[in-house]
Amino acid sequence: MNLSGTVLLVEDNELNRDMMIRRLSRAGFDVLTAGNGKQALDIMHSKMPCIVLMDMNLPVLDGWAASRRAKEDKDIGHIPIIALTAHATDDHRQYALDSGCDDYATKPVDFPGLLIKINKLIRL
Amino acid sequence: MSLRRQLTLSLVTILILFAINVGTHFWGSYARNESMAAYRNSVTAAQLSTEIEQLLEDQKQQVLILATLRDNTEDQLENTELLQAETAIDTINARIKKLGSLSRGVTELNFEMLWDSSSTLLENWITFYRNYNDPAFKKDMDDPLPFLDVRQRLQALEARQAFIASQRANIIDRTIELTDRITVIGFFASIFLTAILGYYLVSYTNRSLKRLKKGTERIGSGDLNYRIDDIDDTGELGDLAAAFNDMSDKLRNAIYDVRKARDAADEASATKSIFLANVSHELRTPLNAIIGYSEMLQDELGDTAEVNKQQFQQDLGTIMSSGQQLLSLINDILDLSKIETGKMSLHCETFNPADIIRQSCDVLSPLLRKTGNELRTDKIKALPDFYSDAAKFRQIMTNLLSNANKFTERGIIRICAEEIAERPGWVEFTVQDTGIGMSDDQINRVFDAFVQADSSTSANYGGTGLGLAICKNYSELMGGTIVVRSQPGAGSIFTVTLPTDLRSTHAAA
Ligand SMILES: Nc1ncnc2c1ncn2[C@@H]1O[C@H](COP(=O)(O)OP(=O)(O)OP(=O)(O)O)[C@@H](O)[C@H]1O
Ligand SMILES: [Mg+2]
Repeated sequence: MNLSGTVLLVEDNELNRDMMIRRLSRAGFDVLTAGNGKQALDIMHSKMPCIVLMDMNLPVLDGWAASRRAKEDKDIGHIPIIALTAHATDDHRQYALDSGCDDYATKPVDFPGLLIKINKLIRL
Repeated sequence: MSLRRQLTLSLVTILILFAINVGTHFWGSYARNESMAAYRNSVTAAQLSTEIEQLLEDQKQQVLILATLRDNTEDQLENTELLQAETAIDTINARIKKLGSLSRGVTELNFEMLWDSSSTLLENWITFYRNYNDPAFKKDMDDPLPFLDVRQRLQALEARQAFIASQRANIIDRTIELTDRITVIGFFASIFLTAILGYYLVSYTNRSLKRLKKGTERIGSGDLNYRIDDIDDTGELGDLAAAFNDMSDKLRNAIYDVRKARDAADEASATKSIFLANVSHELRTPLNAIIGYSEMLQDELGDTAEVNKQQFQQDLGTIMSSGQQLLSLINDILDLSKIETGKMSLHCETFNPADIIRQSCDVLSPLLRKTGNELRTDKIKALPDFYSDAAKFRQIMTNLLSNANKFTERGIIRICAEEIAERPGWVEFTVQDTGIGMSDDQINRVFDAFVQADSSTSANYGGTGLGLAICKNYSELMGGTIVVRSQPGAGSIFTVTLPTDLRSTHAAA
């Protein structure tokens, strides 16, 4: 798969963040990072990434609220968001989709599957 | 009045009326008998009087005839004739005596007068007969006065007797009339009273029963607060109503208990599902690192050029520490299930708690950098050796420190430990922070297993709500206590108080 583009990774856990940066870079993406929802919104405005991978449990402004705000914002509302969370119940999945996320992936991440989801959303 | 009393009273009243009726009936028939006797007496007396008058008349005629014969002829009176005359006079005498036996009481005076004059008359006649044959005997038998006197007195007696009889009959008639009236009145009165009482009782019972029925229906339809309090009966129906109210009270309490139990069960099951979701989340977080790093390393190892030994080692360290994290979570869950089934046992040894606190602080320090907290350990005094469970003590300290750091940002965490002066053999440990704190309501719940202060805690801070439950159980297992003082926004102070020597505490306890 030949991928390119800018991915914004929103993740507060250092280990997970480092790992994802390395894997996404290897897959061909330019990776931006944010540690909380508020930072994520700022970076979406300033850098206009192709896609956002958003953890949900975040300090300051959590992923659900950040997604909702992003989608309500006409400047960045078009940027697809994939929720990335360790909350694996159907309720959580629905909650993420209701908050405006375009897709949903549970941790531990099925990385090839995640790449397919990213690809699909970028192509749209 | 109670139902039983009312019934008894009405029964007694009816019985009394009945007795009165029976009494007047007997009185009436007695009076009737009396009147019959009086009537019979007067009839007999009248017959007797007539008979006596007739006999006297006959005898007088005979005496007159004999007297005339004696004066004019020399005839002698024969013995048989004398006997005959004597018998006749005796008969008259007997009749008069019989009349006397019928005229005791009010007519006695008249009879005595009759008796006086008739005795004289009959005496005269007897004397006449006996001396008939004696020519010396002189007696004027023509004098009509004695006879008329007797006859007059006999008539007077008869009249008197008739008068008395009619008077008696009058009185008796009136009595009979009275008793008849009383009987009729009593009869109707008892019927009337019985009807009224019956009606009253039936309607009263009906009313009370209707209220009871209404109460049953209300309670049956779920209105357990309904009270039957409008029955002003202190007897059976009142008792029934009281028993009824009592029943509805008990029912309400029972339902309340059941509801409470159901709510508690619902809450427990809700807590368990939240817990399961949290456990799943907590397991996935380290698993994400383990699986992610492993896959990544595998990918990178595919390109030989990329292998960086130092990086490789670091990544393996990450995988290992995540594995450890996972293990400790699983251990927590197992510990808690052991505690819950009562299978947790103590493994006592001699140790110094200050050493363990220091080690726990060392473990915490790398995490402090992330939260920007400062850890102060200056208030840890020299402590006596403990004979207790070192591993459990370590876990209590680790959990409290981890919580303090988790719920505090850029604040101060202070840990203190000192012997309690007024309680030898006991040491108090406090872990104090300047973090988010808790409300009283939250304080009451956080020591329960699987419970976090509120639903957003898990979202914001992670965790499963096991830490404090384990701390509390371990503290109690080790003979001590754990309490918390806190206010929202003002930080929290957790205080663990433990005995230094479990042997002596157990011996003492
Ligand atoms: N120092 C503290 N300051 C404020 N709140 C606290 C503190 N310690 C505990 N709490 C509250 O008590 C709850 C229960 O704590 P506990 O340690 O049992 O669970 P946890 O920390 O959420 O999860 P775990 O410890 O299992 O990872 C916490 O979720 C938090 O809401
Ligand atoms: Mg905890």
